[in-house]
Amino acid sequence: MGSAAEQKLVKITVNGTEVEVPEGELIVESVKRLGLEIPIFCYHPRMKPVGMCRMCLVEVGFKQADGSVRMMPKPQAGCTLPASENLVVVTDSESIHRDRKGVLEFLLANHPLDCPICDRGGECPLQNNTIFYGPSTSRFIEVKRHLPKAVPLSEYVTLDLERCIQCGRCVRFTEEISGDSQLAFRFRGAEMQPSTFELTDFTSKFSGNVIEVCPVGALTSSKYRFRSRPWDLETKASICTECGNGCNVWLDYRSGKLVRINGRTNELVNEEWTCDRGKFGQEYIDSPERLDRVLLRKADALHESSWPEAMDAIAARFVESGDSSAMLVGPRATNEDLYLAREIVTKTFGSRNLDHRWTKNLPNNPEATAVHSRIADFETARAILIFGNDLSDEQPILYLRVRKAWSQFNVPVVVISDRATSADAFAEAVVRYAPGEEVEILTSLSGMVRGGGGSEDLKRASEILRGGFLLAASSSVFNSASGEATAVALRDLCASAGTPDGYNLFALGANEQGARDLGILPTEGGKDTKRILEACASGEVKSLWLLHCDPFSLYHDRGLVERALENVEFLVVQDILATEATLFASAVLPSCSHAEYEGTYTNIERRVQRVPRILPPKGSARPPWQVFCDLRLAATGAMPFFGPSEVMEAIAKEHSQFAGVSYSGLAGEGCVLASADSALASAGIEGGGG
Amino acid sequence: MITEIVGDVIRPILGGLSLTARRLRRDKATVMYPEEKRELPPRTRWRHVLARYENGLEKCIGCSLCAGACPARCIYVEAAENTDEERYSPGERYAKRYEINMIRCIFCGFCQEACPTGAIVLRKDFELANYHRDDFIYTKEMLLEPLAIAGEQ
Ligand code: SF4
Ligand code: SF4
Ligand code: SF4
Ligand code: FES
Repeated sequence: MGSAAEQKLVKITVNGTEVEVPEGELIVESVKRLGLEIPIFCYHPRMKPVGMCRMCLVEVGFKQADGSVRMMPKPQAGCTLPASENLVVVTDSESIHRDRKGVLEFLLANHPLDCPICDRGGECPLQNNTIFYGPSTSRFIEVKRHLPKAVPLSEYVTLDLERCIQCGRCVRFTEEISGDSQLAFRFRGAEMQPSTFELTDFTSKFSGNVIEVCPVGALTSSKYRFRSRPWDLETKASICTECGNGCNVWLDYRSGKLVRINGRTNELVNEEWTCDRGKFGQEYIDSPERLDRVLLRKADALHESSWPEAMDAIAARFVESGDSSAMLVGPRATNEDLYLAREIVTKTFGSRNLDHRWTKNLPNNPEATAVHSRIADFETARAILIFGNDLSDEQPILYLRVRKAWSQFNVPVVVISDRATSADAFAEAVVRYAPGEEVEILTSLSGMVRGGGGSEDLKRASEILRGGFLLAASSSVFNSASGEATAVALRDLCASAGTPDGYNLFALGANEQGARDLGILPTEGGKDTKRILEACASGEVKSLWLLHCDPFSLYHDRGLVERALENVEFLVVQDILATEATLFASAVLPSCSHAEYEGTYTNIERRVQRVPRILPPKGSARPPWQVFCDLRLAATGAMPFFGPSEVMEAIAKEHSQFAGVSYSGLAGEGCVLASADSALASAGIEGGGG
Repeated sequence: MITEIVGDVIRPILGGLSLTARRLRRDKATVMYPEEKRELPPRTRWRHVLARYENGLEKCIGCSLCAGACPARCIYVEAAENTDEERYSPGERYAKRYEINMIRCIFCGFCQEACPTGAIVLRKDFELANYHRDDFIYTKEMLLEPLAIAGEQ
């Protein structure tokens, strides 16, 4: 990135206009500087050019010393042509228009032209290029080729071989971007077809991207198949809430139903990619398991109730319980929900028992969960260490970024894990440990990085890490037996390599980082998750509130969870879906899915991003922050907030890291929070100046 | 005096009546609607019909092009996939739901023009009045040509 400034500039002439571009830049990209466009199919800005489709033909010549121009006899592919001094490019001549018509005519001769039933119809590059550059009628009267249609490649992707224009984008995506090389071409020449090896299932964590990458309707989504046409869709910019990465997406909806999710470009977060978990994992919104009514337990059975009635019952119980009430929070709640959750627990109920963590060990030191790097920083890292679970499972899009760092910027990657991971394939050094040995391994590695001797299999890793690296680990390290000691060892390793700021223990859940920043943790002397559950089981905690979490699926000790939920006197379950915990509830409050209410989420790199409301809430579901406002009003008469943006104003006032964050400033790429220390510093300066 | 009355009053009355008498011999221009109906011009655009092929399959493929072309945005199409057990139209796709809001329709015929299979056609039935707004949402069942008469037109 830094080298771009030093890059040599060359003068080229495009359609008679001179322009300076970096040497070696591809002509398809250069012409964009003049606001021009060359039609393309196979070229993709994030993949290596291959020049397979010939759509991008341009006339090329060279300026001679005497000022005349010598044109080359044949047109050239603009996507494989690097800019060089004195290059002359013509994109708009009559012969180029004829060439483009010819290329399109050939492509269309083998194309079924079933646009009316094709899911790509209406947003198809082949349609668009044909309208702008193609012939207006067909001369093809022969019989069209026929090939299998609607072949399911996997649960998610359907292949229509008739429509394929053999551009190779899909194949290159799996080779260059996702790295799983799941797709390849079979046969040669006109018979060439994309396919999986030996026609197995297309198993990839990123298969959904090929649907968007394919310039025709050859690869379409099995889930979106025939559900809508682009002109019937409404869309809003949002983010994915399946993991903590906070990928930017478009939520496409029709008649009150979410029908499709497409990647939205944010170079700093997800570039333009999505993982399959995010792209296809939103079916829960329309699930029959959705909670849509308020339920109250009366005489051993849950009965339908109303919000006011439930609010009164709950407020009375929790205020009465005071410090023997508690709240546990799941990963999918907005910053506004979390802020107000903390407000009501600590102020309205007067309790200290609050937690958002579900790992076996619950670290006390806030430094253990520190995050210093941004996602894009990994591209320019000196080296990268992936520690713990498979990164491609936990943070799929961060994994793509690490892979890009390795493949495009030659950043060496070290993997230390107790299992085989996807990153092993390209890692310079892989270290395996048996569960329980992590601290030992990390300590001896630190020693070797400092210059000490050690075992042979750590030698390569220590050589790479010496001199500094960025760490990619997640809060799942606290699930191991050694727990916090692992985090200490990792911090020590970062420090011994001279880069204490390379330490990143990323959050896993959609807004786990938000919960860390907003202090959804026990306050002084309060109980953490484990102790809350134990206290519920022993009857010490009398009222428990579960916000968007099912302890049965989140916590490792089922027995304890069962005892806790059985014995606690009053249990409020506020959730989106019916879960096992609902069976134990004294009151069930239906909650909105992320598509049904506005709010902000903080992603792993502490970027706060806004999520709009696109769907009406299901049944009588309400967003948690509103419920908390009502509760405060009922219990203490505190003024309610009129919208999530007002809650954010309150957060910004109270939390120094959020200083300056406001809804109007969150459009577009979102905003990265100041680090805790620098926020304090800037707050100090402001205080002094004002 | 009397000649004046004859000239100025009676003569014009008789003149007018004789015109009526002459016109009475011609064919009548009015019809006894609704008992009697006039044949409408061939390009009349009134009530929509979803046509079928001669073999009874629906022509509509659920492509929503009509909905896209409609300036009144009054067509709603929801598509689904044909299976061999349940086949509605030739090919992969058919319209599971097809609705036109007749109150909003301006009878421009753009839908007919946009349709790639000639499925939606505007025919000559113009008696569309009704008592309830809801009854103006024409569903696919109401629009589809009955199976028996398919192919006659
Ligand atoms: S399936 Fe699509 S992306 Fe793949 S080669 Fe064919 S046209 Fe290109
Ligand atoms: S006739 Fe015109 S207004 Fe009526 S449904 Fe067709 S396109 Fe729409
Ligand atoms: S009526 Fe014609 S244009 Fe409309 S959905 Fe059916 S096939 Fe498509
Ligand atoms: S875009 Fe250049 S050859 Fe395909």
